[in-house]
Amino acid sequence: MEYLLHILILIGIYVILAVSLNLIVGYSGLLSIAHASFYGVGAYVAALLALKLHSPFLANIICAIILSGLLGAIVGIPSLRIRDDYFAIATFAFQVITFSVMNNWVSFTGGPMGLPGIPRPAIFGWKITTHYDFLIVILVLCIIILWISHKIVTSPFGRVLKAVREDEIFAQAMGKNVASYKVLIFVIGAGMASVAGVMYAYYISFIDPTSFTIMESILIISIVIIGGAGNIWGSVLGAAVLVILPEALRFLGMPSSIAANMRQIIYGALLVIFMLFRPQGFIGEYTFRK
Amino acid sequence: MKPALNIKSVNKKFDGTVALDDFSLEIPQNSITGIIGPNGAGKTTLFNVITGFLPLDSGKIIYNGKNLSRMPSYKIARAGIARTFQQLRLITRMTVLDNILLSFQNQAGEYLKNTFLFPGRVKKQERKNREKANELLAFMGIEEKAGDLVEDLSYGQQKMISLACCLASGADLLLLDEPVAGINPSMIEKILMVIKKLPEAGKTFVIIEHNIEAVMRVCDRVIFMDEGKKIAEGDPESVRHDPAVIEAYLE
Amino acid sequence: MLAQVLLNGLIAGSTYALIGISFGLIYMPTRFFHFAHGVVYAAGAYGTLAAISWLNLPLSIAVLVGVGTSTVIGLTIECTVYRALRRRSASSLVFLLTSLGLYIVLQNSISLFFGDYIQSIRIGAVEEGIDILGARITPAQILIVSMSLALTVAVTILLKRTKMGRAIRAVANDAELADISGINRDKVFFRTFAIGSALAGVAGILVAFDSDFCPTMGINALMMGVVAVIIGGVGSIHGIALGALLIGMAQQFGVWKIGSQWQNAIAFVILLIFLLFRPQGFLGKKVKKVTV
Repeated sequence: MEYLLHILILIGIYVILAVSLNLIVGYSGLLSIAHASFYGVGAYVAALLALKLHSPFLANIICAIILSGLLGAIVGIPSLRIRDDYFAIATFAFQVITFSVMNNWVSFTGGPMGLPGIPRPAIFGWKITTHYDFLIVILVLCIIILWISHKIVTSPFGRVLKAVREDEIFAQAMGKNVASYKVLIFVIGAGMASVAGVMYAYYISFIDPTSFTIMESILIISIVIIGGAGNIWGSVLGAAVLVILPEALRFLGMPSSIAANMRQIIYGALLVIFMLFRPQGFIGEYTFRK
Repeated sequence: MKPALNIKSVNKKFDGTVALDDFSLEIPQNSITGIIGPNGAGKTTLFNVITGFLPLDSGKIIYNGKNLSRMPSYKIARAGIARTFQQLRLITRMTVLDNILLSFQNQAGEYLKNTFLFPGRVKKQERKNREKANELLAFMGIEEKAGDLVEDLSYGQQKMISLACCLASGADLLLLDEPVAGINPSMIEKILMVIKKLPEAGKTFVIIEHNIEAVMRVCDRVIFMDEGKKIAEGDPESVRHDPAVIEAYLE
Repeated sequence: MLAQVLLNGLIAGSTYALIGISFGLIYMPTRFFHFAHGVVYAAGAYGTLAAISWLNLPLSIAVLVGVGTSTVIGLTIECTVYRALRRRSASSLVFLLTSLGLYIVLQNSISLFFGDYIQSIRIGAVEEGIDILGARITPAQILIVSMSLALTVAVTILLKRTKMGRAIRAVANDAELADISGINRDKVFFRTFAIGSALAGVAGILVAFDSDFCPTMGINALMMGVVAVIIGGVGSIHGIALGALLIGMAQQFGVWKIGSQWQNAIAFVILLIFLLFRPQGFLGKKVKKVTV
């Protein structure tokens, strides 16, 4: 039972990550390979605040969203000057730099040793300790984020995002301030991703930089693409599939030394196969063509 | 009459070649001005500098008393200048209706604050815009295409939609880059009919077009451009018979 | 101390130039980020390792096996996956994502075959180094520096003086025009991938001669190569070599002044500065922008 709850919690975390990245990649057409850094910023902000200032859970979530959102603006701004794959490379650079800070600023982040002993959170006196408690909190957060995302993409704002993705010259000619849309969606996506990071830090109660690497960013992109870029529910589906699929390896009795590599091979192979034969994913609408 | 658009000695060079050479032009309000000239005469470049998609090297462009020369494109569009593109630009993987809805200005729902805090206001405006969009499509005689994806339409229909988008944007000055090139005669007829009706509704047009017949029929005034300069200007007949124009075309 | 920093910068720059030139050669006509090139590079070292320790081949033949492995992997990717994507006229973003996927699959396959731990095919002991003006350099490092110089010259000649080089440049400048003028694009890509992959193999082997390696050796090296290509300017082999030297030097000065752990961050901060303020690099032509 614990195991099942654990899987559901993980799915919840990846739903948040994938939906928030989908806003950036799938709806706005900005390929970002930096999503794990926002995930990491959320986790580190929550862990450091909880450990050093003993500040409450909700305050920490808000701090994480604000800080991550600010960083999102910094990553989004280059998209005004450089585009497509060059922009993707710029986000790659950002990802490497944030990882480098997490890994090397030892006095602050604990470096490769990470930050252990993150205390259990509480909301207005309710102590969140069991798997059940965590699942409930994550479920609530997922629903809030899905609702916000749904509102965004179905509003006139979302219509402009799609226009920016498809043809930003046309959007400009129709009076849309393309730059502000790009930066804003990065702020929103980054802020949402940090929520997943906060939950991860509290749930595992230990974080280290290896959870927020470039490979993690690519995994989140794979979820978005396999589920379907430009469709929120696709990301929910993608997260469920990509979390459950590798778990199946366990039941096949694969030794754990091989399982880690096999998981990665599955992600990578699915990414290649989908790009080749079904770039719109299971239920998406954006196929990265111009 | 006060000119709607005033272009004062504009210069634009690309890697040494001169695209606009000390170019000046006044566009009167509620007029239809045609711009003709050979390829590479600087016609599209003129549209691009007016709409801010290319920075100008020197000169001034004044629209309704506002200096456009350093404004970003989206602000120029908001100031009331809409344009179409020679290589058609539309959101081809959205429906016709969504393209029109996208083109409306001052939408409350384009600000997330309103989507979340004043959803009623956003919905009401969206409903109104939908009505307006359908009226516009009916006015142009393409209402039955509202739900189709733009990519499924014919080239002529797409040109019609891009004109509809310009009208939806509420702009008073419309710059049309080859609105009837490459489409069938009945569609040309439809588009010209729509254009002809609009000056009375307060719209001003500048049209780049190679189809001289079409230009002769709708334009009040014709400009002939070559090598970034204005060679001739006047009513359609006089420009057509201008010796300089004849010479340039014979070359 | 300064002499050692400069020399280390030269050595680091040379290793980046090796992978940078091999990547840049492929990037020139294909115009997409071939991340799987990182594995092609690692395959050189692992192929050599396998030939030495499994087949007991002498070093000289093992090196050929290593280069061959890289070439075969590079060409297989080009002929199967990339060619299929080109048939579907996929965008550069699709190529980039696909090649990230390929990278992950292949790198983890290396891990499965060889294990994730550190391997070594070093040549010569470290203390064998030679002193130059008080700075120390090992024979393997001398080999790296001289090979990168030689390859800079060789690839420049290849591009400027040979028929094949002209074909590559024609496709790079205008793929459609090249098609019209009768250049077989698939053939050009095949040859570029063959040479580029072989060069990546050489780069991987040379670096493995100098230091220990593990399956993830490729991604980091490749990214340094990518940084060198972007800041040097796409299409200019000299630019790539200069770009590589610039990051190598900057990193080594960073190691000297602030500590070795910040090397990656330094390279990528330089990359960001270039992407924002001079995306065409210092010797390249203008990059694509939205055109009206």
